[in-house]
Amino acid sequence: MICQFLSLEWKQFRRASYFQKGLAIKILLCLAVIYFGGLAVFVGVGMYFGLKKSFPDIDPIIMVNNYLIYWIVFELMLRYFMQQLPVMNIKPLMIIPVKRNAVIHFLLGKTMLSFFNFISFLLFLPFSIVLLLKGYPTLNVILWFLALISMTLSINFLNFLINKNHTAFYAIVGFLILNVALKYFGVFDSTATLGAVFNGFYNQPFYAVIPLVVLAGLYRANFYFIRRGFYLDAEISKKTKAVTTKDLSWMNRFGAIAPFLKNDVKLISRNARPKQVVLMSFLFLFYGLIFYTQESYKEMPAILAFASIFVTGGFLMSFGQLVPSWDSAYYKMLMSQNIPYRQYLESKWYLMVVVVILSFILSTPYLYFGWDIFAMIVAGALFNIGLNTFITLFGGALNRVPIALNVKAKAFSNTNGFNPTQLLIALPKILLPMLLFYVPYKLLGFNAGLITLGLSGVFGMLLKNVFLNKIEHVYQKGKYKTIAAFTEEK
Amino acid sequence: MISVQNLKKSYQKIQVLNIENLEIPKGESFGLVGNNGAGKTTFFSLLLDLIQPSSGHIKNNEILVHESEDWKPFTSAFIDESFLIGYLTAEEYFYFIGELRGVSQADVDALLVEFEDFFHNEILGKKKYLRDLSKGNQKKVGIVAALIGAPDVVILDEPFANLDPTTQIRLKQIIKNLAKNNGVTVLVSSHDLMHVTEVCERIVVLDKGDVIKDIQTNDATLKELEAYFAN
Repeated sequence: MICQFLSLEWKQFRRASYFQKGLAIKILLCLAVIYFGGLAVFVGVGMYFGLKKSFPDIDPIIMVNNYLIYWIVFELMLRYFMQQLPVMNIKPLMIIPVKRNAVIHFLLGKTMLSFFNFISFLLFLPFSIVLLLKGYPTLNVILWFLALISMTLSINFLNFLINKNHTAFYAIVGFLILNVALKYFGVFDSTATLGAVFNGFYNQPFYAVIPLVVLAGLYRANFYFIRRGFYLDAEISKKTKAVTTKDLSWMNRFGAIAPFLKNDVKLISRNARPKQVVLMSFLFLFYGLIFYTQESYKEMPAILAFASIFVTGGFLMSFGQLVPSWDSAYYKMLMSQNIPYRQYLESKWYLMVVVVILSFILSTPYLYFGWDIFAMIVAGALFNIGLNTFITLFGGALNRVPIALNVKAKAFSNTNGFNPTQLLIALPKILLPMLLFYVPYKLLGFNAGLITLGLSGVFGMLLKNVFLNKIEHVYQKGKYKTIAAFTEEK
Repeated sequence: MISVQNLKKSYQKIQVLNIENLEIPKGESFGLVGNNGAGKTTFFSLLLDLIQPSSGHIKNNEILVHESEDWKPFTSAFIDESFLIGYLTAEEYFYFIGELRGVSQADVDALLVEFEDFFHNEILGKKKYLRDLSKGNQKKVGIVAALIGAPDVVILDEPFANLDPTTQIRLKQIIKNLAKNNGVTVLVSSHDLMHVTEVCERIVVLDKGDVIKDIQTNDATLKELEAYFAN
């Protein structure tokens, strides 16, 4: 039985659309997997030596244990947003004589092979090997490693339970923030307490049984959870909540593009995938923190210009690059309807501009880093509005990947919007602002760079109609190809 | 109203549609029948400029469909679920289509009242997204949405499939009225010979892309069609 399931899975994997996309993507995907895998291994090996060097008087493993809780919470968050719940097409299996339990065990077993489980594995396996080579007690290290893996798998299963329940997730996030705050203000250092627990797994190796028991418990919980839902009218069929409709008629003031704008607002607020994108783009607001806080970047303003683009342009880039794809499910209808392409594109443009402006308002706290940085964000925002929007829309025309709206994106198993053209079109978005800033900066000075970057945006806004006409033409030309690609498969 | 000349469509040298000449006058209810792969949906897709003809052309009210978009204001269609926007409620979808076709909310509401019977209390005020409706109910929404904005040409692909018997009977009435009272040119495809013969004044049989029969419907038509498809 298991063999048959495996063969079904293998076929599903081999025959999935993203594998039939062409060699270039396969190679890129492989490279990405190798890159991230290699990175994890590298960090895992380097961790020991890095910690030894930075904190010579603390044992690296104790240091790792002390901060392990942050890793675990980070992993949980990552999974919460990125990892799909296990799905297997069980509808056709329900009426044929297959033991229900076998299906569920298989389903749960399958999740253990998730990409997310390998992150911990790739990170801590090399670290453990280094420990062993450095002469740490073999049994302790091995059992500590096993405890870690059990915890990773526990998180795997915990995530599936939490995913059904948002309050649980926010409780965990709240708990984390509280801990960080308590530590920051010196009230109570929870890392030491929790660190002691993790150190326990190392010092008293047989404590490693505890996470194993937790893992078994969570597995059982998941098992019964799925088993309860193993009926057509239970979990398999999606629950439909009564819909509350908001009155968006105030948007009618936007005139001809209002119907599309209203539709886009609904698109974003009612579908899993766009919601995810919006959330990610919100995180981009904090992108500047990585760069503005580092002394070493102060001398490299071109890099800072790059960061400034992302602070206000997160949504623009992540939402905008998939522009016709968002409407892929009903593109045929749009194309046979009485609508000018122009209005459709213009409404997307306005949406992006409005969000750039919103992000800009939200980014005012960056004033803390001084006027220079803030001026950079202003220039970046202008560039985003005036040029980046058009580049992104133009790139969208070349992007013909249908999107399943109400399905979260999966890491490495979803190539929606991921293709070589997309990578090529992403280059000008990143390089152009850096060039626009860097060349005048080198020749004339900091202010000249800022002014050029900002003016380029203003210039772009003046040419809005020219750009939109050009983009409309490209969309028009690709119409049949786009329709064919969007109807291919869902 | 619709004029087809030497229309050919092939994929990788395999011809899927080949119509030499076909004239559909204004106000005719036109039925298209044929087995799977006969080219019905291909023809409708060409009519809506969703695919490009390999050669030949279609004129909709003297407008070359694949060159100008001016046929769009007076033509509407429901081909399949991909014409629906899954994350809208039925009302929102009707209003959206209304806005695209320049019909106010009040006018859309007025039109919807006429279809209360057809909806059978399962569409309006349900607070459900279209993606959560049953196939049949989705179809009802799509068909009615295609009638918003008083189009001159209405194209319905397999409108009877997935509908319950009551709704099928009501739909037949709606289609007949469209052609008879409002002078609308209605193009319908179906696998159900009985329904088409009842609704359509003229029936064209397609087979592997070729026009096999072109019949003005009369009392003997159903027998004739049944005899043809039995072989």
